[in-house]
Amino acid sequence: MRVPYWNVDYGFLIDVLAVPVFAIFFSGLYSHYRKIRKGKEQLKLGWGKANVKKGPVFLKEVFTKSILGTRIYRKFYTGLAHGLVFSGMAILTLGTILVFANVTIKLPVFRGAFNHWFMSFGLDLAGISALAGLLFFFLRRLFPPDRLVTPKERTGFFPMIGLLALIIITGFLLESLRIRASGPEPASFVGNFVAGFIPANGPILSYHRYVWWFHGFIALGFIAYIPFSPMVHMVLAPVNTALADPRPGPKMGVIDFSSFDDEEGEDMPPMGVAKLGDFSRKRLLDFDTCLWCGRCHEVCPAAQTQRPLSPKMVVATLAEFLAANRFTDEPVDVIGIDAIFNCTTCAACMEACPISINQPKAIMQIRQNLVMERSELPELMSKAYNSLEQRRHPFFGTGAGPKDWQKGLDIPIFAPGKTEYLLWVGCAATYDERAQKIARAMVKILSAATVSFGILAKPRCTGDPAKQMGNEFLFTEIARENIEEFDSLGIKKLITLCPHCFNSFTRHYPELGGHYEVIPHSVLISDLIAANRLALNKSSESFCFHDPCYLARRNHIEQPPRRALEAMGTLIEMPRTKRESFCCGGGGGNYWSESSGIRINQVRAREALDTSSSLIATACPFCLLMLTDGVKKFTEDKKVFDIAELVEARLKLG
Amino acid sequence: MKTLIIEKIEPKIIGELVTVGRILGETPDLLAIGQGEIPGTFNRAFQCRETIAANLVDSLAELIQKNAYQVILLSATTLGSEIAGRLGARLKAPVLSEVIEVKPDMTVKRPVYGGKAVAEYKIPEGHVILTIRRKYFEPALLEGTSAAEALTIENPSITLLSEDQIQTQGVRLEDAEIIVSGGRGMGDSGNFEILREMAGLLNAAVGASRGAVDEGWVPQTMQVGQTGNIVAPAVYFAVGISGASQHLAGIANAKCVVAVNKDEEANIFKRARFGIVSDYRNFIPVLIRALREEQ
Amino acid sequence: MHIAVLAKVVPDYEVPARDFELAGNRAHSRYTRMIGLYDENAVETGIQLKEKYGAKLSIVSYGHGDDVPILRKAIAMGGDTLHLVLGDSDDPYVIAANLEMALEQIKDVDLVLAGQQSADQDRGIVHGILSEMLGYTFLAQISRIEFDQDRWTVHQNHENGSRVLQFSRKAVLSITSSHENVPRIPVVRAIMAAKKKPVEKLQGIDAAPMKAEEIKVEIPKLESICEFLPLDDLQQTAKILLARLREERYL
Repeated sequence: MRVPYWNVDYGFLIDVLAVPVFAIFFSGLYSHYRKIRKGKEQLKLGWGKANVKKGPVFLKEVFTKSILGTRIYRKFYTGLAHGLVFSGMAILTLGTILVFANVTIKLPVFRGAFNHWFMSFGLDLAGISALAGLLFFFLRRLFPPDRLVTPKERTGFFPMIGLLALIIITGFLLESLRIRASGPEPASFVGNFVAGFIPANGPILSYHRYVWWFHGFIALGFIAYIPFSPMVHMVLAPVNTALADPRPGPKMGVIDFSSFDDEEGEDMPPMGVAKLGDFSRKRLLDFDTCLWCGRCHEVCPAAQTQRPLSPKMVVATLAEFLAANRFTDEPVDVIGIDAIFNCTTCAACMEACPISINQPKAIMQIRQNLVMERSELPELMSKAYNSLEQRRHPFFGTGAGPKDWQKGLDIPIFAPGKTEYLLWVGCAATYDERAQKIARAMVKILSAATVSFGILAKPRCTGDPAKQMGNEFLFTEIARENIEEFDSLGIKKLITLCPHCFNSFTRHYPELGGHYEVIPHSVLISDLIAANRLALNKSSESFCFHDPCYLARRNHIEQPPRRALEAMGTLIEMPRTKRESFCCGGGGGNYWSESSGIRINQVRAREALDTSSSLIATACPFCLLMLTDGVKKFTEDKKVFDIAELVEARLKLG
Repeated sequence: MKTLIIEKIEPKIIGELVTVGRILGETPDLLAIGQGEIPGTFNRAFQCRETIAANLVDSLAELIQKNAYQVILLSATTLGSEIAGRLGARLKAPVLSEVIEVKPDMTVKRPVYGGKAVAEYKIPEGHVILTIRRKYFEPALLEGTSAAEALTIENPSITLLSEDQIQTQGVRLEDAEIIVSGGRGMGDSGNFEILREMAGLLNAAVGASRGAVDEGWVPQTMQVGQTGNIVAPAVYFAVGISGASQHLAGIANAKCVVAVNKDEEANIFKRARFGIVSDYRNFIPVLIRALREEQ
Repeated sequence: MHIAVLAKVVPDYEVPARDFELAGNRAHSRYTRMIGLYDENAVETGIQLKEKYGAKLSIVSYGHGDDVPILRKAIAMGGDTLHLVLGDSDDPYVIAANLEMALEQIKDVDLVLAGQQSADQDRGIVHGILSEMLGYTFLAQISRIEFDQDRWTVHQNHENGSRVLQFSRKAVLSITSSHENVPRIPVVRAIMAAKKKPVEKLQGIDAAPMKAEEIKVEIPKLESICEFLPLDDLQQTAKILLARLREERYL
């Protein structure tokens, strides 16, 4: 049986030393806590409805994303390496605690099968696993992939890798020296193996004593160092993920402008974020936790087309501000205005983030401040915004009148009490001549399926483009007008043609008092097909489906449009699909942006064309317009269609 | 109708106004502004060397009243608009600006709502001031020259500090039989070079839409449209121009519009005779090559 | 320094021609109303002068009481006060007389700025008539204004270029658009503050209208059928285009 503190005099001193070490450790954590507390309090306490939530903590996420780190494994090798180091170190720490328990309360851990399988075999295996993981990380940092170093690299990893490896290696050395001196321990396969290389005639006991103290000191040193190194993510990352609202998308919420209405004056809260200190505590925790791994950078449509924006750069810059206590400085001066407006709000960054950082929200809050407080936005966006404010639609200079799309169709106007669904047409399908075809097709589909529907007498916009361009004020104004109109007409059910409208109606309107049952047209079409209310001609055509960000990633609607396409032909998937879809480039108001350099819509169009499918389908008017334009670079053929257009053209008549 | 033209010494513009004057009656008299010979033969001609219209109004009103001119013809230019309103108020006369059609029955038409509608007016007896939109009337041929009586200005309140005549290379926009115009779709100011190259080969002038001017890519003098130059070429190449109604108003009298735009839905195609749905970056170089081959 | 900017609320000037319709010889009332295109340039110019020289900026308009919320944009952009003369004439003499009345009441205006033309009637003569009524001088097509020791220096655009003019009297200036006076977008706080600013509404006065009878207003028919040239081979397209232009004797 193993004897704790064997061969070591005053071994208990190491336990005594642990007291100041943990004091340093906790005071280090406390300094993180104090910084984060300087953010605005925004944590909503209490039990959530949709998700099981205790206080600000999402319980399911505590076990999945937080403790198990499930999202890390989306990159297999990195995930595996991380898992090996994490679980290895966790087991070794447990082993150490058990030894401590043995000393203090005489817990019989060094007996029988437990000693054999856990204390000997288990700990050796854990050490080897952790070492293997560390070797991977070492090589990864030595030959880093682009995402780790672009636009900059977080430092401090080599010392941590080295320190951890040294703790394990000295641990093994210690075990081997003990075995060499006192005979083999049956299941300690590493210890027994290494012991074979130790010469028998040296001062083994002295070596053992030195290594024991050395091992103890560096282990304690490591613990003390954690809060001051990137290793603090061991603590912060699980906390950050446990506190992150698991619903998809950045969850922008709405701003209550009534607080601005009371008094003119100094105490008015800022609109959006100007200074670092304007961010919420959760955002500051995001920045503090971020390891700059660049998984967001890799998937960002702006970063991948060499635009100034990289979500990693934004968060890293904010983290640097936080580290330097620059709470009253304005990060946009470093991040750059262009970068802030490059964001298409596609949320690919959030989706890729292993530790649930909300990058788009941070970006959008800075944008809100630029737009609402400084009136700084790119010229084309400002034109769209102006038009939205004056005409209640953003399509400035359109050649279409509000009723042009209805030509030749006899479309019912929503009649209170008689009509079931409001067909919400939205701005694009009203004012853009290409997108008008979506609305026309949908009208024919609904008529064919004898759905009770009607449109508004006067076209309206959800206000979503204003929100995406950062003007919450205009959004709220427009949304309230719409809610008033819906209430007066008794509208309860809406069909949307545009996922942006859908998202606004379902996410933001309820917060303003508008509660509706909203169904995206692709979902309704799929339901109608399933209910045999639409009969379609199936052919040998193949379709690839471009997932609109606001359907798939931000609302997890992936299957219904696919089912509709499969009812007409074969579905081919693009490499980046469903929640990992690559944005068309038109989101976040970037439909109205100057296009220069590599264009996002062309990148996506190329990807779609490379599937060699006969046609490219989507379910969003903005995606339709962006991809239609993108495809033009490569082919003259008309390839891109909305799902409604495809279905309408394949309706079996009679 | 006793008519007086007030205009700079620019034969084309004076010619247009003479045409209008003749529709309303006999050949009008002329008050020429600026230095130089008076083009054309007039019964009576006056000349004033002061070119700042704002300094002219007092003397003009006096001259008009003394000689009992009823119709005052101006062009719808900076000069004309600077004089018309003040003179109208001074003479208590109706002012009809931007006139595009004049009939012998004393009715005139002028566009309203950015050219989306046309209003027709009846001119009453007594003083009336008309500013005539350029390029809507065939300029009368002005032969010979006339001697002029000098009109002097007292106490000018406005001083001219400097004058910057922008040298439009080659052909002037309003005289051009062929115009190559670029819009916001050009992307930046440097890209206008390719239009200049094409214009050189066609002996054409280069124009621009309000969008391109607002971007600061080209000077305002190159602007074609309701509020820029009104042009009437035989061929108007609209490159990267979407075709806002204000722009179309400026090319209403172009005989043939060729639109090059990558957006097949662009409004300009509704006005165009020939449409090329292509990025101008692809098409114009090819067209230039074809033009070179022909030469 | 006290600057007044004239702003007129007009029906949406971007309504596409296809969608344009008249009712009673005027644009149909269904179109959204907004501050005229060049009037916004004038407001912007006025704000820049206010910022540069510390001027007071009054916004003056003639029109309906309903237009107040729309005119508030000019206040949100940076105007100090808003004065609306109530009336519904679109005769230039009547409008000018009413604006003159308002400006006389506001008092001590040094400079009156107006967009080069309204975006509905497109006349561009009201400001000239007004200057004569006020006894101010008038300059058209001004793109830049500077002030130095009692003197105004202005840049005037004309067909062949531009000139720089100087004067020291009170003046009415018609403002054209340039890349220097692109209308700013008001910040949200200013929009909210503008909603609370009082508006001075003045009763309109009668004045003699212009002696020219409007017979009718019509929408011209624009018929043009565009021939889209084939794009398979751009070289071929270029050749076809040139051939067609010659064929129809345009070249």
